Amino acid sequence: MSLIEIDNLSVTFDTAGRRVRAVQEVSIKVDAKASFGLVGESGSGKSTILRAICGLAPITGGQVRIGGEVVKSPRSKAFSAQVQMVFQDPYASLHPRHTIDRTLSEPLAIHGIPDTDTRVMTALADVGLPTSFRFRYPHQLSGGQRQRVAIARALMLKPQILLLDEPTSALDASVQAEVLNLLARLRDERGLTFLMVSHDLAVIDHMCDRVLVMQHGRAVEELSREALATAQMQTDYARSLFAASADRMLGG
Amino acid sequence: MTLLSVRNLRVTFDTETGPVEAVRGVSFDLGRERLGIVGESGSGKTMTGRSMLRLIRPPGRIEADAMTFDGTDLMAATETQMRALRGPRMAMVMQDPKYSLNPVMKVGAQLMEGLHQRDRVGRTEAYAKAVAALNAVQIRDPERVMEAYPHELSGGMGQRVMIAMMLIPNPDLLIADEPTSALDVTVQAEVLSILDGLVRDRGMGLIFISHDLRLVARFCDRVLVMYKGRVVEEVAARDLLNARHPYTQGLLNCLPRIGGNRGPLPGLDRTAEWAR
Amino acid sequence: MTLTEWLRDPNPTSRLQSRMAQSYLSWLRMKRNKLAMIGLLITVALVLMAIFAPMLAPYDPITQNLQERLQPPLTSGHWLGTDDFGRDIWTRILYGSRITLYIVLLVILTAPVFGLLVGTVAGYFGGWVDQVLMRITDIFLAFPKLILALALVAVLGPGMVNAVLAIAITSWPPYARVARAETLTVRNSDYIAAVKLQGAGPMRVIWGHVMPMCLPSVIIRVTLDMAGVILTAAGLGFLGLGVQPPVPEWGLMISAGRKFLFEQWWVATMPGLAIFIVSLGFNLLGDGLRDVLDPRSAGR
Repeated sequence: MSLIEIDNLSVTFDTAGRRVRAVQEVSIKVDAKASFGLVGESGSGKSTILRAICGLAPITGGQVRIGGEVVKSPRSKAFSAQVQMVFQDPYASLHPRHTIDRTLSEPLAIHGIPDTDTRVMTALADVGLPTSFRFRYPHQLSGGQRQRVAIARALMLKPQILLLDEPTSALDASVQAEVLNLLARLRDERGLTFLMVSHDLAVIDHMCDRVLVMQHGRAVEELSREALATAQMQTDYARSLFAASADRMLGG
Repeated sequence: MTLLSVRNLRVTFDTETGPVEAVRGVSFDLGRERLGIVGESGSGKTMTGRSMLRLIRPPGRIEADAMTFDGTDLMAATETQMRALRGPRMAMVMQDPKYSLNPVMKVGAQLMEGLHQRDRVGRTEAYAKAVAALNAVQIRDPERVMEAYPHELSGGMGQRVMIAMMLIPNPDLLIADEPTSALDVTVQAEVLSILDGLVRDRGMGLIFISHDLRLVARFCDRVLVMYKGRVVEEVAARDLLNARHPYTQGLLNCLPRIGGNRGPLPGLDRTAEWAR
Repeated sequence: MTLTEWLRDPNPTSRLQSRMAQSYLSWLRMKRNKLAMIGLLITVALVLMAIFAPMLAPYDPITQNLQERLQPPLTSGHWLGTDDFGRDIWTRILYGSRITLYIVLLVILTAPVFGLLVGTVAGYFGGWVDQVLMRITDIFLAFPKLILALALVAVLGPGMVNAVLAIAITSWPPYARVARAETLTVRNSDYIAAVKLQGAGPMRVIWGHVMPMCLPSVIIRVTLDMAGVILTAAGLGFLGLGVQPPVPEWGLMISAGRKFLFEQWWVATMPGLAIFIVSLGFNLLGDGLRDVLDPRSAGR
C-alpha cells in the first residue's frame, strides 16, 4: 500500500457559468519516504492536484487516500498533522501582520501542543534561521528567509507528507539552491514524503524519484528519474518540454 | 557605431533610514547589438534599464557622469525631449504584459492609439500597420486579437502584443526587462526567437535584462553581470558559461541539472572581496 | 540602551518590543504628515478639555446668572461671551466636549465592532450567509442616516443613550461593507489557506487572521466618519431629540442661540465653531491614518 494514493481524481470548477475542468482523471501513487514530481506548464492542473488533496479545491471525481484512508471533507485535525503544504510565493503565504513567532506558534495553539517557546526556537534552528528572527515581521525578511519560515511552519505539526507547490520558483537561483538543500536535508532527517510541483524539470529531477508530466489537466506520461535523464519519453509533449529545458542538462 | 553610452551611472533612493544606492557606478557602451544584463533580485539591473529612459520615480534619483543616446545628452534633456524619445526612439518591454496593457481598452485600439495621436496616421492605415505589427510577432489571427481585451489573451500572446506595440514606431533601442520570465518554457522560446528576428532585421540595439544566465548566454552578444548595483564582470556571451568571476561561476553552479548527482547544490559565497 | 535604540532594534526579543517597534515606525511615517499632526493635536486637545473641564472652566455650566445674559465675546470674565441665561459659553463648550467625547466613544465601541463582525463573517463564509447579512445591511443603508436616527429616537424617546443607540444603529452598515470587501480580498490568500490547513476553525481564522487585515480600513473609515457622528449628535440635540437641557451639548447650544442669531451671533456661532474644529480634526487625522495604516502601503 502506498502512502498517497490518488485514483482517477477530477476537479471541476464552476466559475461564472463556465465549467473549468482543471484536473481530469489523474491517478498517482507515492510510497512512504519517496518523492514524486508533477511537472507541466501553467494551467496544466498540477497545483490543483495539491490543493485538492488538502481540501482547498473540491474533489469532483475519484478518490484521494492517505495511508489507505479516504480523506474526509472538511479535513480533520488528524489530517493536518499528517499532511502540510508549502506555497509558491513566500511573499503571500505569511500573514503580513503576524510576527514569525505568531506564525509558528499558531499550529501548536490549534492542536493544543505545549512547550511553544522551545518548539518555535527549535523550528527556527532546524530551517537555518537565527533565533533572533523570532519576533520579526515577514517584511523584515528576504524571500529565501520567508520561504524557510513557511517550511518551518509546515513542519511544526511533524507531518509525514509535505506538498510543495513550486517552492522555489519565486526565488533567486542561489537562494533556490539553499532552499532545495534544506528540503533535501529535512527529508532525510525526518523521513518525509514529498509531492512536489514545479515547471522546472531540473528542479524536479534534482528532488524527485518519479515524475508525472501533465498538460491541460490530464496526465501525459509518468517517468522515472532514469528515463528523464536519458530522455526516454514516449509522448511528443513530454519530449518538447524536455527539449525546452535542454539547457538544464548536465554539461549543457 | 555607439548608440548609447553610459558613464558612471548611479541611482540613489532617499529613504527614512538614509540613502540607499541601487546602482553604484555602471558604465557601458551599446552599438546595434544585443547586450544582456544579468543579476539576481536587488542587483540593480532593472533600475539600470529604467534609468536609460529616466523612468525612476522620486524618492529615487539618477546621477551619471555622462549618458548619451545617439548624440542626445539624456541627463540634460528636458522632460518634453525625453517624451519624444520614449516610444519612437527607445522602447521598453516589461516582465508581465498584464500590468503593461490597459485592461479596459481593446488591443487594437491600444496599438493604433500612438499612430493616431503621434504620427497623425489615418484610421485605415493605422489599422493596416497594427495588423502588420501583429503579423511580425507571429500572431496568426491578428484581426481577432485586435478586437480582444487584454484579459482574453494568454501570457505569451499578451507579451507578443506588447512587443508589437513597442515596435510599431520602429525604435532604435529596445529595453526588454525579463520579457519571458512570466511565460512557460515552450512559449518562452517562441517569444525569444521573435524578438531575436526583429532585432536582427531592423538593426536595433537591444538591452536584455534577465536573471537567467543560460538564456542570456544563448541570446545575447555581450553580457554584463551585476551584483549589488555594480558590474562585476563583462564578457562575450559565448564565453559566459566559462566565466572566471566567482559570482558568475557561483550563479551557474547553483542550478540543479537534469541527470545531476543530487548532492547538495553549491551555495554562493557572499563574503568574498567582490561582494562588498 | 535608549528608548529609540530599543525601538529600532532589528531583532526584537519579545512580542511587545516588535509591536512597539512597528508602532514607532508608523508614528515616524505619520509625523511627516503635517495636516495629520494638526488633526491629532485637535483630537488630543478635545480629550484633555473633556478630562480637565472642571479645572479649566471658570464658571458652573448650568447655574444661571440673568444679570450677565447675552454678553458679547471678549467682555471681562467671559471671553466667548454668555448665552441668554447668562451662562459662560466657554464653560459650556468645555463641558460640552465631555458629551461629544462620550457619544463618540460609545459609537466607536459599538458600530464598528458590530459592522466588522457582520462584514468579516459575511465575506468569509460567502453563499447564503453573505446574502442574508448583506441584504440586511442594504436595508439599513437604504434609509437616510438622520431620518432613521430620528425615527429611532422618536420610538425610544429622547435622551443621550438613546441618541447614541440611534447613531450606532444607523452607522454600522458602511463598516460591514468595508470589512466584507477587505475580507473578500484576503479570504483566498495563501496565508489564510495555510492556517486552514493547520486545522484552524472558521472562528479562529476570522478572529485571528482575517480581522487584523480589515481593522486598518475600518479604523480609517471610523475616524473619517467621526465628523458625521458629531454632526448627527448635534443635529439630534438641535432638534431636541438628543441630550435634554440644561446639559451643555453643542447642538443644543446652537439650537438655543438660533433665536438671537442676528443680534447676538456668538451664542450659536461659538459651539458651531467647536463642532467645526473637532470635525476637521477627526477628518485630518483619518486622512493621515490612511497613509499609515492602509495595508496596501504597509510593510514597504
